[in-house]
Amino acid sequence: MAFNSANNPSGGSDKSNILRKYKIVFLGDQSVGKTSLITRFMYDTFDETYAATIGIDFLSKTMYLDDNKTIRLQLWDTAGQERFRSLIPSYIRDSHVAVICYDITNKKSFNNLDKWIKDVKLERGDDVIIVLVGNKSDLANDKRQVTLEDVEALHRKVGSKFFIETSTKANHNVKLLFKKIAQSLPEFNTGDNDLLATENRANKPETIDISIENNSSTDVNGANGCC
Amino acid sequence: MSFRPLSPPESPTANNSNNHNQSMSRSSESDLSVDTDIIIGHLDPNFGSETRIENPKTPSSHQRNASSYSRNYSLLDFYGLESPSGDRESEPLIDASIMKGLDDLEFKELSHANTIFAKSVVPSPETEASVRENYIQPTVSENIEKILNSPYDRYGFRKSSTLHNITHDHYNEWFSDYSQYALRRKKKWHILMKNNGLHLEQEDSIPTRFPPKSDKVKKLIRQGIPAEWRGSAWFFYAGGHERLNKHIGVYSQIVRDTRDIHNKDTEVIERDLHRTFPDNIYFNSQITSPVNSSSTTLATDTSAAPPETPMIKSLRRVLTAFAHYQPQIGYCQSLNFLAGLLLLFMEEERAFWMLVILTERIIPKVHSANLEGVHTDQGVLMLCIKEYIPQLWAILGKNFEGEALSEDKILTRLPPVTLVTSSWFMSLFVGILPIETTLRVWDILWYESSKTIFRFSLTICKMCLENPDFQASRNNNKGGAEMDQIELFQFLQNFPKTILDPNLLVDNCFKKIGGYGFGSLSQDEINKCREFVSKQRAKLDHKKNNNIAAEMTDEERRTLISSSDGTFADDQSIHDVYGFHRSIMSGVIWNKSISNKMKRSFVKRKTSR
Repeated sequence: MAFNSANNPSGGSDKSNILRKYKIVFLGDQSVGKTSLITRFMYDTFDETYAATIGIDFLSKTMYLDDNKTIRLQLWDTAGQERFRSLIPSYIRDSHVAVICYDITNKKSFNNLDKWIKDVKLERGDDVIIVLVGNKSDLANDKRQVTLEDVEALHRKVGSKFFIETSTKANHNVKLLFKKIAQSLPEFNTGDNDLLATENRANKPETIDISIENNSSTDVNGANGCC
Repeated sequence: MSFRPLSPPESPTANNSNNHNQSMSRSSESDLSVDTDIIIGHLDPNFGSETRIENPKTPSSHQRNASSYSRNYSLLDFYGLESPSGDRESEPLIDASIMKGLDDLEFKELSHANTIFAKSVVPSPETEASVRENYIQPTVSENIEKILNSPYDRYGFRKSSTLHNITHDHYNEWFSDYSQYALRRKKKWHILMKNNGLHLEQEDSIPTRFPPKSDKVKKLIRQGIPAEWRGSAWFFYAGGHERLNKHIGVYSQIVRDTRDIHNKDTEVIERDLHRTFPDNIYFNSQITSPVNSSSTTLATDTSAAPPETPMIKSLRRVLTAFAHYQPQIGYCQSLNFLAGLLLLFMEEERAFWMLVILTERIIPKVHSANLEGVHTDQGVLMLCIKEYIPQLWAILGKNFEGEALSEDKILTRLPPVTLVTSSWFMSLFVGILPIETTLRVWDILWYESSKTIFRFSLTICKMCLENPDFQASRNNNKGGAEMDQIELFQFLQNFPKTILDPNLLVDNCFKKIGGYGFGSLSQDEINKCREFVSKQRAKLDHKKNNNIAAEMTDEERRTLISSSDGTFADDQSIHDVYGFHRSIMSGVIWNKSISNKMKRSFVKRKTSR
């Protein structure tokens, strides 16, 4: 798996440049779907059940972006149980992005976002991009316990870069999530607004929650990790 | 039943080869005090006080100690007061016959627990094997063909793993050889049993008693226990019978007490039950019907929970009972895999006690609320890597900034590579190594105790270092120093999955392959290192926490304290929790390489302050 891809990171298109690598940490309560999100992104597969993650899993994937840029995302998949938080400082240290996940059908997992965000800020201050992800949106009709308004309020309060709802099962918004993460990285925030604009337009049909667009404008000052 | 800490490292079991019969009949729990891991006993307040009678203080309510052990039911009584049923006080000490009666009346659905209990009163070789549904098919040639044709291995795990590039054919190629090896081993075991006067009723019956520890037995253990004997042999050599006989009926009682409880632990357990071996037919009833994949639509009704296998029900009971019995641990993710694997090989009650033995004696504190045992053991492992694989330490013994770590930093801010190796200790290689390789490590672990985990961790690290791909991956990276490391971690994380042949790992560990192995790393050295690391960590942590705390606002401090499970507690309570208040090290002659070096360097640092 990642072991193979680790063997040929330099086999990419850029022979002259150093391949930019970004560390992205996935946090959030137990069984909200962190591993599932990453697996969907890495291999485009989905299983009903994944073995619980113990400690941490390292995965990485090279992403080719529309403007011929190539970056390597190093994904840190973490265990969700509370006691594993004693490992958190090492997870979060030096991370560029913290993807903090909850399950839209589980209010408690949303309520705990505060704690996760606090952990991140304690270690990284405002030096990190925070993204809020509500997974299992395929169950929105019957079982939703967390509304978009809930998360939007939190988003404004904590100054996260953006928030999004995903379904790894229905393969909904997962690609968009990673695309938006890539776009929020420092490299893409050097005044390259055209790129962002086209991206947003191109992705409109995929987006279930329009507030994502709203955010990208309101967020510019909210995200301090952007330069 | 096991060796004394000061026995020579190369033949640790020699002086106990005739201890077996005594320890079987001895009823005192304290005979465990001569066990392999006694030196680390002080790390664990329960264990320490259980075995060292010099602590006669009245137990605080969250601790189990000598007195509660000797009374057997004190903990239950304590919990009984809080249990929803609330009727515990009216049932004081229950003797086995009453228990049995109660079980029959009220536990019809617990057919496993029930029968286990009934027969565990007197472990009888003849009846044991037939009582429980056997998940493990006997090692006989007729079964090999069956396994070769099945998509699942002999333990019910899916053979192929797309994520780890293991195909069905790949598996079969290995298994057709290995199964022949296993048949030959089983013959050797039969001879060993016969030579020790342990006659098996039939060719395929499963022994409940095994030969006493000896070099010969150790050698055979390292070559692998016949799969269908494993549960019985692990239980025997880990001291399960002694534990069980001292606590007859306790498991059933706890199960009964915890039947309807709902708390934080059970909530987490519920979420993990179905995330335990989803690739195994005994755990996942859905596995044979491929409803998954990308064809799933939003319309699929996910509210219909998949039917629970008996295994999942057992797992729930064992984990819930354990969380109740060991409140200082509760439930910790990874215990599900440990209990799950045990349950494939033995009945619930035995699996429960094995979990207790494991977390008390073999890897104490590793699953505790603040995972302190993980940090301790990672500190020890790092010191071992530094000592025994310096070439690898040169690569990994750095922080993310690429600075080499000094010794005190190793212990407080563990090198980032420990993020990979921590899970090896928590799940004891379950899910880390391929299943048969894991089981071979477990064979040795239950017999030789915790040094086994360190030995195999070192072996994996060394094999990884020597792997050409590891070197290639090192050279290929062009990013900053910090990111190179992460790519290496990935390699180290995925590498163990490729060790499909257990003999490769075992032979590397015990130096049949290459120049040297790690068979000389003794339990004594591990124990002393653990002792040392945990003491130093407590001191340094305390100091660090004080410094941090001084710079914080009151609110921040409160938040931290509440979120850090008491690691910010004051000095005194740290000692209470970890049992560091006794200076066990004084007077111990400490002449092992690592320990000596560490001691010297810290003494130096201390005096220069």
